[in-house]
Amino acid sequence: MTRSLAVLAVCGGLLLAAVPIAAHHSFEAEYDRNKPITLKGKVTKVEWQNPHVYYYVDVADEKGVVTNWAVEIGAPNGLYRAGWRKDSLKIGDQVTVEAFRAKNGTPHVNGRSVILADGRKVFSGQNDGGPDRN
Amino acid sequence: MRNQAIRFICALGGAFTLAAAVASAPLAAQGAGSGAKVPDITGLWDGAPGGPGTRDLVQYMKSQGQEVPFTPQAAERYKHVDFAKNPNGFCLPPGPSRALTGPSPFFIVQHPSVISISFENHNIYRLIYLDGRSHPEDIDDYPSFMGHSIGKWEGNTLVVDTAGINDRTWLDSYGLEHSAKLRITERFEVKGSDLIRYTVTYNDPEFFTKPWSVSLNLGRLTDTRMLEYVCLDNEKDKSNLVPTKREEFQ
Repeated sequence: MTRSLAVLAVCGGLLLAAVPIAAHHSFEAEYDRNKPITLKGKVTKVEWQNPHVYYYVDVADEKGVVTNWAVEIGAPNGLYRAGWRKDSLKIGDQVTVEAFRAKNGTPHVNGRSVILADGRKVFSGQNDGGPDRN
Repeated sequence: MRNQAIRFICALGGAFTLAAAVASAPLAAQGAGSGAKVPDITGLWDGAPGGPGTRDLVQYMKSQGQEVPFTPQAAERYKHVDFAKNPNGFCLPPGPSRALTGPSPFFIVQHPSVISISFENHNIYRLIYLDGRSHPEDIDDYPSFMGHSIGKWEGNTLVVDTAGINDRTWLDSYGLEHSAKLRITERFEVKGSDLIRYTVTYNDPEFFTKPWSVSLNLGRLTDTRMLEYVCLDNEKDKSNLVPTKREEFQ
């Protein structure tokens, strides 16, 4: 947890208002605003790359079957300016992701925020016209 | 932590030092040919916080009590546009004005005979020629995503005319298309060392019954830097896009 990310968790709304985080595609063409999903699990990989940062979370269902979900968040440039760093999420971190599912039904979501293991909520949303979870 | 938070927010706010907006602009740069002093706008800029958003220009116009003057055909196109075809989603250049009205910083380098704008978004650029040249005679035969720009200083305002824009870009992030007859005029009115009032006027007789304009403030960024944006680096969205019409979610 970097200092900046902690600050973002405290004042995320303000910072996102000041630093738009671009999405390079239309939210509505890929994700379903009527299919919010909350994923709880461990981070398995982080890709700090353009055009979007991705991280992956292993999530077990009620039968114990584990699915690895891809979570798309903002572009690294905008996230960096909002206080994120490439090590803000680490492999093995236990997280709760508030997201919207992909329309095509794959285990792939658009992450709007993430609740870290210590309970702090960090915004990872994108200024793409998509819905807020709050 | 609280103090750290406040410091961080203050630092971010400092990126847009608009408090100095009313200060007089430095008259440092030389205008092409005339020898006249013109404002120095070299540096890193972005849309300033506050004011109506410009990512959705129909909504922007409504916020101004106006409507986009669509022709009937253009109104149909707008109504039925497929959001999966947002050119940005295919990592294509956004066009000369969307590069400015959308989010992402850009770096202006000023020379008496040309102004270059390097855009972080998509690693693209514009050149605005100030040396008195005209548009190439065949510009309409070879349209491009970013068009061909010529400009001149009128006092503290840089006035730019752009032609030769292809019909493959959107004017905003919400499916506002245009034809290859689009021509834009931009006014960069330097209001202070850290503030430019940017106004773009769209003139496209196929899409709009009359020219119409959008304005926003551009603020100088002082405590960040240009970052690289290579859209195809780890692109995973294209294969997941689903045809999506406006009426499905609005």
